[in-house]
Amino acid sequence: MGTVLRLALPLTAWLAAFSAIYGLNGWLCTTDLTDAKARTVLAVAVLLAVAMQVGLFIWLRRCDWQAAGPTLRGVALTLAVVALVGTAWTLLPGLLLSRCV
Amino acid sequence: MSAVILTPVLLTGCDETLSTVHPAGPAAAVIAQLWWVLLAGSVVITTLVAMLVLWAWRRPEGAVSERRFVIGLGLAFPMTVLAALLAYGLIIGEKLLPHQGPEVVSVTAEARQYAWRFGYADLPGRITDDVLHIPAARPVDVAITSADVIHAFWVPRLAGKLDAVPGHVNTLRIEAASPGEYAGLGAEYNGPGYRGHGFTVIAHDPAGWQAFLQGEAP
Amino acid sequence: MNALQRHRALSRIWASDPGWRGWCTSVNHTDLGRMFMAVSAFFFIVGGILAMLIRAQLASPRSAFMGPEHYNQIFTMHGTIMMFLFAIPMFEGLAVYLLPKMLGSRDLAFPRLTAYGFWCYVFGGAMMIFSLLAGIAPDSGWFMYPPLSSTINSPGINSDFWLIGITFVEISAIAAAVEITVTILRYRAPGMSLVRMPIFAWYALVTAVMILTGFPPLILGSILLELERAFGLPFFQVAHGGDALLWQHLFWLFGHPEVYIIFLPAAGAISTILPVMSRTRLLGHPWVIASAVSLAVLSFGLWVHHMFTTGIPHLALAFFSAASTLVAVPTAVQIFAWIGTIAKGRPQLHLPMMWMLSFFATFVIGGLTGVMVAVVPFDWQAHDTYFIVAHLHYVLIGGFVFPMLGALYYWMPHVTGRKTFFKLGNTAFWLIVPGFHGTFLLLHWVGLLGMRRRIDTFDPGQGWEVINIIASVSSFVMAIGFALVLIDVVVNAAVAIRGSRDPWGAGTLEWAMPTPAAPYNFASLPQITSREPLWDTPELPLQLARGEGYLGDPSRNRRETLTVEPTTGRPEYIVVFPGNTALPMLMSAVTGLFFLGMLIKAYWLVPVAALGVLACALVWTWGLQRPAPEGPLPVGRGLSLPIASEVAHPPGWWGSLFLLVADGTFFGSLLFGYAFLWTIAPNWPPQQWAEAGLLPVALLIGGTFLALAASRVRSLWPVTCAAMLAMALAAVMVLRAVPDPGQHAYAATVWVLAGYAVLHQGLALIMAGFFGATRIAGHAPETTGGLHNIARLWSDYAVAVSVMGIGAALLPGWG
Ligand code: HEM
Ligand SMILES: [Cu+2]
Ligand SMILES: [Cu+2]
Repeated sequence: MGTVLRLALPLTAWLAAFSAIYGLNGWLCTTDLTDAKARTVLAVAVLLAVAMQVGLFIWLRRCDWQAAGPTLRGVALTLAVVALVGTAWTLLPGLLLSRCV
Repeated sequence: MSAVILTPVLLTGCDETLSTVHPAGPAAAVIAQLWWVLLAGSVVITTLVAMLVLWAWRRPEGAVSERRFVIGLGLAFPMTVLAALLAYGLIIGEKLLPHQGPEVVSVTAEARQYAWRFGYADLPGRITDDVLHIPAARPVDVAITSADVIHAFWVPRLAGKLDAVPGHVNTLRIEAASPGEYAGLGAEYNGPGYRGHGFTVIAHDPAGWQAFLQGEAP
Repeated sequence: MNALQRHRALSRIWASDPGWRGWCTSVNHTDLGRMFMAVSAFFFIVGGILAMLIRAQLASPRSAFMGPEHYNQIFTMHGTIMMFLFAIPMFEGLAVYLLPKMLGSRDLAFPRLTAYGFWCYVFGGAMMIFSLLAGIAPDSGWFMYPPLSSTINSPGINSDFWLIGITFVEISAIAAAVEITVTILRYRAPGMSLVRMPIFAWYALVTAVMILTGFPPLILGSILLELERAFGLPFFQVAHGGDALLWQHLFWLFGHPEVYIIFLPAAGAISTILPVMSRTRLLGHPWVIASAVSLAVLSFGLWVHHMFTTGIPHLALAFFSAASTLVAVPTAVQIFAWIGTIAKGRPQLHLPMMWMLSFFATFVIGGLTGVMVAVVPFDWQAHDTYFIVAHLHYVLIGGFVFPMLGALYYWMPHVTGRKTFFKLGNTAFWLIVPGFHGTFLLLHWVGLLGMRRRIDTFDPGQGWEVINIIASVSSFVMAIGFALVLIDVVVNAAVAIRGSRDPWGAGTLEWAMPTPAAPYNFASLPQITSREPLWDTPELPLQLARGEGYLGDPSRNRRETLTVEPTTGRPEYIVVFPGNTALPMLMSAVTGLFFLGMLIKAYWLVPVAALGVLACALVWTWGLQRPAPEGPLPVGRGLSLPIASEVAHPPGWWGSLFLLVADGTFFGSLLFGYAFLWTIAPNWPPQQWAEAGLLPVALLIGGTFLALAASRVRSLWPVTCAAMLAMALAAVMVLRAVPDPGQHAYAATVWVLAGYAVLHQGLALIMAGFFGATRIAGHAPETTGGLHNIARLWSDYAVAVSVMGIGAALLPGWG
């Protein structure tokens, strides 16, 4: 069971961060923060999400994979990389665009 | 703008009034061009995949490089294409948004089952039903809302569509390159009268627009 | 005991009741899998007939065949039936039939739950068919956007059929998903570690978990909309603090994953069949697993691409546009892994393989048009036109129907035990595939020429006529092809000659049994040492039939199978299955009364039926309890294992855990909806927040600590019950403090939050009481440990949702 969770964890973390930052932007548009400040908040949130993924990758590398074996370790690390790349791919481009229009 | 000139050449002899591939304004033109790029890319990729399958089928049995198939074809190739495409789409999308500008004309559109009602910032109090007047060759921002269910405002030859959602106001940038009449549609299913839920956009030349603003019935 | 005697003994233990009674009382997965697939094929025919009516209407301009009132019901029901009553149940049926056989188990984890889900599907589907025949079918489109689908604009019963009927059917999806998840994780042959699990099981696992997390938002949305329609709680009415866009978020939070829930099982079938047809192993196996998992999770971050035209800011659209392009990457990995598999193997053009090729020819185009509509500006034009209709059929038919037809011809010899004799299937192939492309390819273009989806007819002169007549004629060619497939299947099942056991030379376990499968699947369970047991040990079927595996000795005279530790496949305990019973059918009929009461507004029936369901459930679970322990029992090959009722985490605990995953997603969606309304909906804040004072807060905190502590001590079960009552009291006090729920979406949401909390407090109370009853009845502590853990799980969950739900309701009132 632990193995299955480890496989699912990085991408689930991506989903959580992704949805949260989407929500954060929606909320920021209802406040009267200046554009520059709001963008900084979003950028910090995205960087935190990226950092979290890096952390997860490192943690998964260090985990004990004795029971699951090298194949699943490879799958888990691949998925962690997918989540890391995915975080950057899905969240970075938006930061350059119109925020509330 | 090249697409505006290009597409009629490709599709001669048509008089489709609802066609997105016969653009009559900058937004629709940019999107039509995007479509031709997408189509060309897709034809190339489909052909490549078909040839690959054919090759794979006829190839004699024997090991193949997992790296080449999975990493080369499965990861690197789509990611390169998609990154370029994503950037292209987002840059266009950003350009099509209703940014502020000196030339911009503001109108309102309110949808209901099954009619459209338009108002004009430059002519307070003036309401037109099922006909929207705009000046040609000037950007127009349409503030869209709904009085009942969800509808969508769509003039296929001028721009993409945007929904009319009750309680919300959405703004769409449209522009007609030259004077004329353009067919508009309600493009979100809204009940038994959906088929007939259309309207007309009349784009005036500068003189005609002045006359309209003066309150003369066009 | 020789093989034949063993076969007789096991058959006596496992057989379903003879004759028509067997249909109602069978809990056997082979029976139920076949029934599931047969019923979903029936719904495919119904949906297909509706599609033919659509194409008949659209064949020519200004068609007078039917008016919009009928047309709207027909396209709505076509989409609804195909998505909810055909595609998902077909996956469930295939998984129910195949999984235990592939995994080396004798049945699914919860046989009676399989039957319960099946009957919920049948009864719910019957409701939908009734509405169609009576001419009062839903007519707001398969995504049922309010306010169009809400009372003001759809006053009739039509929308209620959708909301209530589909929710009823969803029970079967959730039941099957819990079942499939637990089965794949635990019910495998000894030695079948995760890496040795067949690839289809990986896909099925991923799909089942997606159902658990994808369907709850839709169920929530349906409940909220039905509450609005029935009792005027204004969740989607903007004048009262609701928002029509909330529905779209909830629907597409479900709707996009739904597409992958449909595609992934088909991809699982391809990954299984294509290597066999190419006489080789799947290329890049770990990459394919990683792709399936990536697709599953990424697909939950795409929902807004169905809402690109609703006026969401460009920055947010960019997130979803980027995610929608990204999801094409794992799809590409799989496609190229499959092509690589063909390349390295020796492909043979049997009929299943032809369907695999038609998949490539179709799905690749559907995927590319999918990437097109992921590009935001293009979608602004293409959205809600026939371009989308064409795209979605390329994906659904190319990505699901075609691979499933391949699967049909691949596994038919297994189901019937016969050789495919008549070659009607080849003719059908050549009608269906060209017919399909003739129907849909040019519809992309007509969409770009401005033809909107869902119009009941059209005027000539837009350049649409020729394309539509080609589409209609081709669609009838395709329909004839499907009819031939049907005839082919019936004829082959009835009269073809008996075939050999493993006609394709496959390596997976489902072929290690005589076909058609005996009710017990395996006379004894194998020890697995690789992913293709039959390729390593061709004599395995004989060994198993001779009883050389595990549980080969039927002398305990009951239905038994083994479970394993999920990662390593080390055998853990014996499961004893229940026998034939009509209880699941009865319980789903009573469940049906619950939904019927809501549908026809006979609200007195609703609580009565709910009590009836509870009574059935109690009888059901009481039958599982065992008063006295048996200790470890021999399972063969020198191994002894405990039985499930004597372990700390029995199957029921795992089932509860995954049911709670779905339940938690439901609750999370509810909190999301609340936050969405709060920040986005116009007409907030409400005139008045709920202010309930300190007493309910004190009760809640007190109840929390009490419940957390008491549920961990066996003898304190009455305290757990009391704690639940205290928290329920807190919820009721909050409800008394909120203003009229008909006036504002805030108050309406508080009602749902509190109602949800009370429901779970009630469930936890019943669980604790049930555990108490086993103690009073004097059951041994060895056999009630697992039950205690289950009760504790539900108690902890009730505490969590009470604190969060009631806390969220009271939060604004504190500020
Ligand atoms: C058997 C051949 C089929 C044909 C000829 C066909 C034809 C059509 C047509 C013409 C429409 C558009 C109706 C309209 O917008 O007015 C449509 C809608 C739809 N179809 Fe099919 N279809 C077929 C099979 C399927 C299958 C197998 C599925 C799913 C697994 C499916 C799912 C849908 C959905 C979800 C819609 C949208 C309904 C809506 O707009 O509410 N179809 N179909
Ligand atoms: Cu729409
Ligand atoms: Cu989608």
